[in-house]
Amino acid sequence: MKPAPFDYARPTSVAEACQVLADAGGGATVIAGGQTLMPLLNLRMSQPFILVDINGIAGLKGVSRADGAIRIGPATRQADALKDATLAQHLPALVTALGHVGHYQTRNRGTVGGSVALGEPAAEMPAAAVALGATIEITSVRGTRSVKAEEFYLGPYMTVLEPDELVTGISYPEWPEGHTVLFREVAQRTGDFALVGMVGALALEAGAIARAGIGWFGMGPTPIRARQAERALVGKALGEIDVQAVAELAVADTAPFDDHHASAEYRRTVGRRIFARTLRETLDIRSAA
Amino acid sequence: MNYHASSVGATRYVGERTPRKEDGRLLTGRGQFTDDVQLPGMLHIAFVRSPVARGRIASINLDVAREMPGVQAIYTQDDLAAIPVQMMSFFFTPIESPVTLLADGRVACVGDPVCMVIAESRAQAEDAAALVELEIEEEAPVVTIADARTGPLVHPDKDDNIAAEMGDEDMLEEAIQPLLDKAPHVVTHTIRHQRIAQSPMECRACVASPEGSGEMTVWMGCQSPHLAARYVALVMGLPQESIRVIAKDVGGGFGLKNIPWREEVAVVVAARLFGRPLKWIEDRYEALTASSHAREQEVSLTIGLDDEGKLLAGWSDYACNNGAWPMGEDANIAVHMFMWPAYKLPAYGFVTRGWYTNTMGLGGYRGPWAMESLIRETTLDKAARKMGIDPVELRRKNLIYLPDQPVTSNMGIEVTDITPGECLEKLVANVDIAAFRKEQAEARKQGRYLGMGIATYIEPTGSAGAMAPMTGETVQLRIEPTGKVVAMLSTHSQGHGTATTMAQVIAEQLGVAYEDISVFEGDSAIGAFSPGAAGSRQGVIAGGATWKATEILAEKVKAVAAHLSNAPVDAVTIDGGMVHVEGAPEMSRSLKELAEIAYGEPARLPEGMASGLEAQFRYQPPPMTMTSAAHCCVVEVDAETGFVKILRWISSEDCGTVINPGVVEGQIAGGLAQAIGQVLLEDMPYDARGNPLAATFKDYLMPTISDVPDFEYLHANTPSQTIGGMRGVGEGGAIIGPPTLVNAIADALAPFGELGGETGEVTLPLTPSRILDVIEQRDVSGHHAPAEKTVAAPVAEEAPAEPVAEAPAPAPALAAASIDGDWDMTLKAPMGGQTFLAHFETDGTALSGYLSAPEGQQDFSGGTFEDGRMKFEVKVDKPMKVTLKYDLQASGDTITGKCKMGMFGTAKVNAVRA
Repeated sequence: MKPAPFDYARPTSVAEACQVLADAGGGATVIAGGQTLMPLLNLRMSQPFILVDINGIAGLKGVSRADGAIRIGPATRQADALKDATLAQHLPALVTALGHVGHYQTRNRGTVGGSVALGEPAAEMPAAAVALGATIEITSVRGTRSVKAEEFYLGPYMTVLEPDELVTGISYPEWPEGHTVLFREVAQRTGDFALVGMVGALALEAGAIARAGIGWFGMGPTPIRARQAERALVGKALGEIDVQAVAELAVADTAPFDDHHASAEYRRTVGRRIFARTLRETLDIRSAA
Repeated sequence: MNYHASSVGATRYVGERTPRKEDGRLLTGRGQFTDDVQLPGMLHIAFVRSPVARGRIASINLDVAREMPGVQAIYTQDDLAAIPVQMMSFFFTPIESPVTLLADGRVACVGDPVCMVIAESRAQAEDAAALVELEIEEEAPVVTIADARTGPLVHPDKDDNIAAEMGDEDMLEEAIQPLLDKAPHVVTHTIRHQRIAQSPMECRACVASPEGSGEMTVWMGCQSPHLAARYVALVMGLPQESIRVIAKDVGGGFGLKNIPWREEVAVVVAARLFGRPLKWIEDRYEALTASSHAREQEVSLTIGLDDEGKLLAGWSDYACNNGAWPMGEDANIAVHMFMWPAYKLPAYGFVTRGWYTNTMGLGGYRGPWAMESLIRETTLDKAARKMGIDPVELRRKNLIYLPDQPVTSNMGIEVTDITPGECLEKLVANVDIAAFRKEQAEARKQGRYLGMGIATYIEPTGSAGAMAPMTGETVQLRIEPTGKVVAMLSTHSQGHGTATTMAQVIAEQLGVAYEDISVFEGDSAIGAFSPGAAGSRQGVIAGGATWKATEILAEKVKAVAAHLSNAPVDAVTIDGGMVHVEGAPEMSRSLKELAEIAYGEPARLPEGMASGLEAQFRYQPPPMTMTSAAHCCVVEVDAETGFVKILRWISSEDCGTVINPGVVEGQIAGGLAQAIGQVLLEDMPYDARGNPLAATFKDYLMPTISDVPDFEYLHANTPSQTIGGMRGVGEGGAIIGPPTLVNAIADALAPFGELGGETGEVTLPLTPSRILDVIEQRDVSGHHAPAEKTVAAPVAEEAPAEPVAEAPAPAPALAAASIDGDWDMTLKAPMGGQTFLAHFETDGTALSGYLSAPEGQQDFSGGTFEDGRMKFEVKVDKPMKVTLKYDLQASGDTITGKCKMGMFGTAKVNAVRA
């Protein structure tokens, strides 16, 4: 378990990093926290010619808030994001999901952008980006483009990211003060990738749901937004929501698969239940309040 | 933890939670593991392994790989064959499957080592290994036990895919079925135990350093350096003294490291061939996919009970997947030997087989026979539910308590002092079952499903004297001229804390401070032969050896002190490192003063006494020492998700004298953690092409600290018949844990139905999907369809693929010709062929004679000879007491037929005139 030989670059600016990526002609891989990449390198499942370490680029770290959006630098450590006051106040759903990413130790190295960019379909960060309507900012020597999270993921570990591109920011639209977090994850052990999980937010106005963003993880080849369920919820008064029917709609958008940890049928069955349970609990609390 | 703060004075050590001597170096990262060994000129090895499960090697092209930087050599089996090797099992019997160190023309499993690359660094070796061009003509593999029954031959030179076979198939019809037919209650239960990757914290490792004229020092992660040295010398045909094995610290063994296996021996052979020190450190990918696996068993048990719940008869059909290259062909006879000695079961029969497949080979794993407890205890609970009897009551009716003993089981195991019943009573007294049942009923009303599981068992520990490696243990002990104590042991620790426990025994018996005792083990040049940590034996046997050696040394100290002080020996006591003479405090001396005299001024010693203060004892204990336990576990099953949460776990075990409760509880807890892994998490599945599917710890789910509860411990302490009274405790948690947890889950799920559904087939691990199968009474997991075909109900079990020849029909008169004289007879037994001389003498229809082989001659008489049919019985004592029943037919110059060997199965017999 030793990586195949590779060169190593530690650029200090995005421009420099993009140049290295461009020069590598598709043979470069970006490393930030390395929590997934290092095992892949050791198993020789990833064999880049050059490793581009973005930890030396100051501008890629930290959380900022401007123009109705929260922007997270991709090299921000998951542990730092968990402690961030802006995120706690404005993106509590993301913070809740972050607490389930890996383990305490891995979160000290692992980055938000690394998890978002990797595209593990059973991971929390991609699903949170999809659910909360995030936009991924992508930079290369060819310029900068923005891609909606929902359009970013193509399949397991497959994204629209070109080999010469670098994720330079993740922007989450702001949600209204006091919005409600939806989160539930079923994993065999603490810190494991989910067998099935859901993350999202509901914003209420005058006793009705004004805005809904809900994403699944572990329920298909990519994180999946529960569009039909969202449509069924928006505009409804809390009292008139048929939780079971919404849960059915939510599962209808998924495409889970069998593996030796759980069957697709298990994922559908339990997904429907955790969705209903989470939604019911949320509505009960809101109705009581 | 309440440690003893002080060690001086009348301190008791045995029974105390003394801090471990090993912990300082281990907890501060200063352990000395095999990978810590660095030698001048040392090179590194990476193996090239087969990516396909079954096929012929068409070509191996090394041209590109050889040109890679740092590469010194690349060996294939053709190269290693320069040093002939005959691999052996743990019992020093030759491996029957044609196993070579590297693949020889064919590959038989994914991970089969094909080449070894020797380079200046491991990374360079891996770089080159990736460029070895391996061309294999892939063939359809045999993956499951079901495949093995009907599929092509895994080893083309064998007759079938049966690696080992025992049991007496005829017994079902002749003895057991009639009893089952009469039984008012008959319960059948089937368990499919998944394949386990042993996953020690430290993977396998070997450094071999050739020295001088053919000598070799080998550092190796092993369970006994003595056994490893003996094994390597034997399989390579070298004098044992030419191999020294050192293993200071080893991170877990579990049976995987019982013997060196293909890779370790290959490293030693390659080091001899290449003439430089070589290091191989197994990585985690290799460890998961290419280290000997464990378990993968399918077993069904049928029991008959009377209306009160008393057991009447039992029949079991057991099969295990040996893989391609097992560390010893295995039908796991121990499952059947130890299934019932703790219970009153009048009649039991079984068939048991190990099957070759194109998967990684099988090795021993903590309680290799543990399936006996799992299938028995879960079947008993199923019977209890079916009959409406309390599971504790059902056990009370059938368990053997102390007053019932001695008693001999239906399989010939005599028990004299087992306490499973007593452990159960102690457990029940400490668990308020009635309160739990009330809580359970209340919870169910709220849609919460609690379950309580109870299981009882006994475990053979400290075996010695019946099998080649299972010897006694030696302790060499001396008080140095400095007054400090040095012990050299035959023991070995992969986390067992033997240096601690043995030092406790010495400190207590010798009256010295624990801190003044140094313990040395882990080197074949130190101490003497034992198999080390194998079979829950070290506390029992090495403990007894230490106990006795310390007594001998203490006697010498007293004799010297008495002589010097002109006092009677009885008046001398040793305490806190001081030697006192009763009533004469002025005569007290330190052990140091006494030792200086014993070593430096031998003229002052009693006449004829050897100088120095040294003692040695090799303890040969009773052949087997039994440990008993009863465990209780409480779980809650989430009916929505199928998740199991363990709420409470109480162990009530009897391991006799407890030297260190912390060490004992650590052993139990470790075994229970593995049990939790086996029941809920761990799984090494193979796909239909023979690819192992859990290649990293992302997919192979080890139990973590969050999955393992705080266990509660009750210790019964019935001393055994060994010196010191200890009983082994190394494997128990892994044996009693699985049925305890499965029973608790089955109890929780009882409102929904039987675990395993109508067919009663339980597949491990009990993943959330499989739990939902029971709760929803439908196939949520999608695992049912393939599972159905593999094991038939035991009573309806089909004949084996190749049925043993039936006794021939009454023979023609021609056959009645004289058979008197010598015959060359071959017995094709399940465990291998045997050839000997048979001498027959007839007198009318009376038949007598003898069978003669290098091992000795066995006479027999009282046989019959009618119309060519020969029937006679030969009693043998080894390896176990068994009566061989021959039923043969003579026809001219040939004799054919069969020999029933009791539980060892039936062998085909052929003979020709000598």
